[in-house]
Amino acid sequence: MALDRLLNVARKEFSDHITSRRFVIILALFLVISAVSIHDGIENYNNSLESYNEQLQRMEEFEDPYSSWMPEKPSIMYVFISMMSYMTALGGILALAIGFDLVSKEKESRSLKTLLSHPIYRDEIINGKVLGGVGALGFAMALSLAIAIAMLLIFSVVPTVDEFAAILVFGAASLGLLLAYFAIALTMSTVAKESGNALIYTLVIFAIVSSLLPMLGMMAADALAGDPPEAPEMGPMGKQVVGTASSGGYFVSTASQSVVYGGTEDPAWREYEEEMKTYIEKRRFINDISNLLSPQMNYYTVAMAVTNPRIALMISSYTDAGVQEEPGSLAEALGRVWMNIAALIVFPSVFFAATYVKFMRMDIR
Amino acid sequence: MIRTENLTKVYNGKKAVDGLDLEVGEGEIFGFLGPNGAGKSTTILMLTGMIEPTGGRCLVDGIEVAKDPLKVKEIIGYLPEDVGFYGNMTGEQNLDYFARFYGMDAKKRKARIAELLELVHLDGVTQKAGEYSRGMKQRLGLAQALINDPIVLFLDEPTANLDPEGVREYRDLVERLAGEGKTVFVSSHILSEVRAVCRTVGLLANGKLVAQGTLDEVARTLAPSDGDVVRIVVETREHLPDIEDPEILAVERNGNRAVVRAKTDIRDRLTETLFSEGLHVREMRIEEPDIEDVFMAVYRR
Repeated sequence: MALDRLLNVARKEFSDHITSRRFVIILALFLVISAVSIHDGIENYNNSLESYNEQLQRMEEFEDPYSSWMPEKPSIMYVFISMMSYMTALGGILALAIGFDLVSKEKESRSLKTLLSHPIYRDEIINGKVLGGVGALGFAMALSLAIAIAMLLIFSVVPTVDEFAAILVFGAASLGLLLAYFAIALTMSTVAKESGNALIYTLVIFAIVSSLLPMLGMMAADALAGDPPEAPEMGPMGKQVVGTASSGGYFVSTASQSVVYGGTEDPAWREYEEEMKTYIEKRRFINDISNLLSPQMNYYTVAMAVTNPRIALMISSYTDAGVQEEPGSLAEALGRVWMNIAALIVFPSVFFAATYVKFMRMDIR
Repeated sequence: MIRTENLTKVYNGKKAVDGLDLEVGEGEIFGFLGPNGAGKSTTILMLTGMIEPTGGRCLVDGIEVAKDPLKVKEIIGYLPEDVGFYGNMTGEQNLDYFARFYGMDAKKRKARIAELLELVHLDGVTQKAGEYSRGMKQRLGLAQALINDPIVLFLDEPTANLDPEGVREYRDLVERLAGEGKTVFVSSHILSEVRAVCRTVGLLANGKLVAQGTLDEVARTLAPSDGDVVRIVVETREHLPDIEDPEILAVERNGNRAVVRAKTDIRDRLTETLFSEGLHVREMRIEEPDIEDVFMAVYRR
């Protein structure tokens, strides 16, 4: 019976979401942009594939001096890279839109009091609301992936089993991001007395976790890691250390290989390299820790591991040895970002727990 | 059917309900009177299992509410003050949503909802609850309170948003429900409303029960203390002469009318005296305390 009650609430909430004008408009926009971006992605993929085939053909026609080098076959997961940016924008808006007045609206309309007068516990109401919201976001995500897969098939791009699994993992990571934003919105909706305030609080928290935290992380890394070591005066030509750099929301850092100079190692340069490596690792560690608090950064890290494991490996490696490493299987790629996966799960869980506690203690007079 | 024992609720260090002892029998229409902020709604919230008491306990049909609120909710109906609904759903959809919590199957739900919508004159209304007038919401609120055919009905300010026709229909409905053996607990600050439907009342002020019983009993209990003095109103056709009797304490005269304060009820003797003096008695009655005045005095405390 307890499950019946919870499912009754969840069913009603899910139905409310998917029939609400707000949800339908944002979802439609989301799907249209998704379809356009998948279409572009497929075109890029086909171009890459064509280039790959040409390279193979050239290798067969001519005696290639780099016979041991093989071009890498493009993965259809490249198609999904473009989804990452609008997932954090439109997907985030969708998640915030369905959550920010979920409880506050019921307080304002007094329907919560009426509902509570019937045989149902408070925890069943809040759990039902969460379940209904998760269902609606899952529905949106499933629809988006279904359109993506359908378009791949229409353009005669058939995913392998591994690629299909990667698509599902990408969908799960994206859903994790949406749930993080939904959890923030739901918590604010429970805390605030009015929906207007709930929306403002939600947007403030959204801005903090998506922009301010990564910025503070970088500032903290700069402050705590101190100044970078000074390079020796006589450095070998063409050898330099690449510091941390950011691009598209993720960070790349790598140090050069040990330098052999005239057949012997330059000890000053080697010492400098070691110091620089330690410095970068320290910066990187502080940055990574602060980024764990940002669902957006965790999502980028996990999604990159799925859509472009080679780049993800470069990002996660402190030396450019990572470039030479093979990214390995999907499981291995995910294993390298397990902390980010855990953070994507923990973040919404913490907010859901806060919502639960607040809702259970809420004054319903 | 309803019993509270030393029921107490404290909000932010202030006692909203203070040691309430109340008893309402089966089939009674009980009026819970008191000024705004007296603690009526808080008491109802505790009785309906929506908030937990800080102290004491309350029982409905022998079930302790705080220990088994769900079991209590299954046998009661509650119309909250300013009842709210899901604005994106029709009245029928709202009722269907609530009915599902009672494990009613689809057929039973449909039949019960149709019956209730007809009862509150909302059958055939297709607009969403968000577009309802306050009166329509109040009527839908009454329907949702009856969805499970409760044995105890709690109504908080039930006529607040109703038009005169709605009020008349509500009164008929309450009478009918009581006739079916249901206990009806009506909370209101409007004396005339409670007076019209309730057989017994309880008067709450500052979280405490000031008096309980029939309206007359409560009025007498609360009337300003005048010892055991009986107030007799006398009116004659002719000018009223001086009245003398060993039992009389004082006489307030006003032409051919007077209010006699006496130690005992001396109406028979008084009538004989006036008759022997050739006077025509138009009125001779014991003056009861004015109930409105008595309640207003309590409200003003």
